[in-house]
Amino acid sequence: MPFISQTRRQSDYNLFPSATPIVIDNGASYFRIGWAGENDPRVVFRNIVQRPRHKATGETVTVVGDHDPALLKYFDCTRSGPRSAFDSNVVYQFEIMEYILDFGFDRMGANGSQQIDHPVLITECVCNPVYSRSKMAELLFETYGVPSVAFGVDAAFSYKYNQQLGICARDGLAICPGFTTAHVIPFVDGEPIYKGSCRTNIGGYHITDQLKQLLSLKYPHHMTKFTWEKVEDLKMEHCYIAPDYAAEARLFQNGTKEAEEKTRTWQLPWVPPAVEEGPSEEELARKAAIRERQGQRLREMAEAKRSSRINELENELQGLEFLLRQLERVEEEDIPSFLEETGYVSKQEVESAHAKAAQALRKAKGEPKGEQVGIEEKIDSSTNEKFPLINVPDDMLTPEQLKEKRRQIFLKTTTEGRQRAKQKRIEEELERERKNQEDEEQRLENPELYLEQLNIRYRELSEKVEQRKRLKTNGNHTNGGMGRGERLNAAQKERMRLLTTAAFDRGKGEDTFGANDEDWQLYKLMSKDNDDDDDGVDPDEAELIRVTSRLQEVDPTFVPKLELGLSQPVVEVPKFRPLTKEDFQVVLGVERFRCPEILFHPSLIGVDQVGLDEMAGVSIRRLSCETQEFEDRLTKSILITGGSSLLPGMTERLEAGIRMIRPCGAPICVFRASDPILDAWRGASSYASAYQFASQTFTRMDYYEKGEDWLREYQLRYTI
Amino acid sequence: MEAEVVEAELVLPAYFSFKRIQSHEKYPKGQSSARRFKHLKQIIQAENFQNYPPDEPNYVNIESPPSMHPCKRICDITGYEAPYLDPRTKLRYANTEVFKIIRSLPNDHVQRYLSLRNAAVVLK
Repeated sequence: MPFISQTRRQSDYNLFPSATPIVIDNGASYFRIGWAGENDPRVVFRNIVQRPRHKATGETVTVVGDHDPALLKYFDCTRSGPRSAFDSNVVYQFEIMEYILDFGFDRMGANGSQQIDHPVLITECVCNPVYSRSKMAELLFETYGVPSVAFGVDAAFSYKYNQQLGICARDGLAICPGFTTAHVIPFVDGEPIYKGSCRTNIGGYHITDQLKQLLSLKYPHHMTKFTWEKVEDLKMEHCYIAPDYAAEARLFQNGTKEAEEKTRTWQLPWVPPAVEEGPSEEELARKAAIRERQGQRLREMAEAKRSSRINELENELQGLEFLLRQLERVEEEDIPSFLEETGYVSKQEVESAHAKAAQALRKAKGEPKGEQVGIEEKIDSSTNEKFPLINVPDDMLTPEQLKEKRRQIFLKTTTEGRQRAKQKRIEEELERERKNQEDEEQRLENPELYLEQLNIRYRELSEKVEQRKRLKTNGNHTNGGMGRGERLNAAQKERMRLLTTAAFDRGKGEDTFGANDEDWQLYKLMSKDNDDDDDGVDPDEAELIRVTSRLQEVDPTFVPKLELGLSQPVVEVPKFRPLTKEDFQVVLGVERFRCPEILFHPSLIGVDQVGLDEMAGVSIRRLSCETQEFEDRLTKSILITGGSSLLPGMTERLEAGIRMIRPCGAPICVFRASDPILDAWRGASSYASAYQFASQTFTRMDYYEKGEDWLREYQLRYTI
Repeated sequence: MEAEVVEAELVLPAYFSFKRIQSHEKYPKGQSSARRFKHLKQIIQAENFQNYPPDEPNYVNIESPPSMHPCKRICDITGYEAPYLDPRTKLRYANTEVFKIIRSLPNDHVQRYLSLRNAAVVLK
């Protein structure tokens, strides 16, 4: 990670005399504080504050800057997101600013002294509103006891520093894309002319945000991995500015080899599922032995049960046979009375019971099933006998017998239904078998023809399925943004009809809805839950699947046509096959140069302002300088500074852009600052260590005496 | 506090010797901080920039104007050049394959793509 915060506590605070100013670069991204005259700031951290609750004690604590996430697990950070004191590039939350200053001064080693006894030079944005400036001054004077304060613009300090280094001239342009905004400030005679400056509200923050959202939409199942910090790292490492956006996009669109090289892939951590080692030989043998023993035991138990059951059945059978023989000897009329004791009503019943018992016995003894079919039929016909009342016409029966008859009809229809279902199943099986066999024969006799037919069938089916899908998705979006949309099928029409009748019918007269229980069934019909998403598996789709599998078996060259098979724009989640390494890769192709493009075209994000290259033109126009020669002097020394200027390709792009708006042949030289991030602080540090710095500051007395108006007009003079 | 938290000095201490007024005195607990600061819009409004001569640069003055160049149209999903607009979802797309994808996107994805461009439907 290129930006690393330094937050070690400094120990030499007391070694510095009171005259040494403290220099603070108060930026929207990072806060840098150090001593004037030094080359590097002592303490650097991210300008954010979190107020999580400690999990154990429950108190709310303040954590400033970015910290090791491992330590943060002791705190409940759900309700406290990181908060910044900035809104765009203006400080407005001074409570947070106070925490940040506390932390900064503390890490400088100031804890222990009575007050901050050094003059402070702090940076602000261009044309900072008076409210913000005065509140900041008040904070520094009142709470920290600072003797004197000076405000300066960070881009100006950066320019001055580079001017000292000789990179840019006294007249020039400073282009500063920062974290939340981008500024262009012209310099004349070493002083910034704010009248000609220009600000667009696009910065590094927006680039990172855009990248994060694009990646989240492209890989929704990895959304949790795209944290803001991680995306910022990605941006710093991989994003670049294309010299010509359209040409670059065309490279990727045509899938050329250069595009392949420019695509970067990020492999997310992924653990392949562990391949289970087959159990060793011993294990297998042991398990087999155990199973064998268990099987043996079960078999013995079954045997015992079976033999006991056989005995029982034999006894029963013998009893019934005896009964039958007795019945034969008895007269017809005496049968009912004779059978009363035994519990059977008629001779047929006894016979059927006997037959059943015999069959059961035979089953128990393990005889082949073939005989059973015959016996089943016999039983069926005998059960028919059990419904003697069905065939008797109604008027000849008593009410009891009528009831009995109804019951028997019901039983008979159910048994008949069952038989019919069984028949159908058997028939279907036979049919399928037959078809398969036919298929096989066809294939064997004429493989090519068969293949062709199969292919044709596949194509037709896929057409139909796709068409249905198209209809469905078209139907889904008929009403624009209305949830899942209304599908124009019969179920939907029915539902609409129900809804309208239910809503409008009840106007006149009394509302008797709900009196009947059946009325509430209306809601069941209306409910959307009943409507399946896919109408089950359509017969066509089922057929398609079958044909596909058949083709795959038969034809080695067959490749199933991929539906919507574009891997780049949207990645389909593989639900049914095991996840592979590729599923955990995030591909950064077009996004690499698409996101920084918003610096040059804020309209891509919806911000209606000019981009960086046009801003230079606007700035020069605002200066309203007469001579061409003066403008040329400005464009001859253009400095790019600020965090976002580290993106590769920025200088070439800017040069090309500015050349477009300047007259032909105008001299244009674009330089990048020696260190875009730290230059502002370094410039401020060298400024503060100059001899006349004290004349540029204002004290507490000044502030209270002269009031707000004076503060508004206070501007630093940069050449001293 | 756990040992490593104390060691890392993660937490801001409550008392600093160099401050005249400590934080907890200035911002007593329980008071909602939302009322205590003005947002940028309010700050700008309070400044009354229109009362001052328009020549002088101030925060609002130096804002940049809308762009004069023709608007660049790129595909919302892929990032390529996009000459076409889907009338139903108002997304830009580059070719027919992207169009198919757009038509099969769930509605919230559509809104998120649109909000990238700040063109989403906002219901207040």
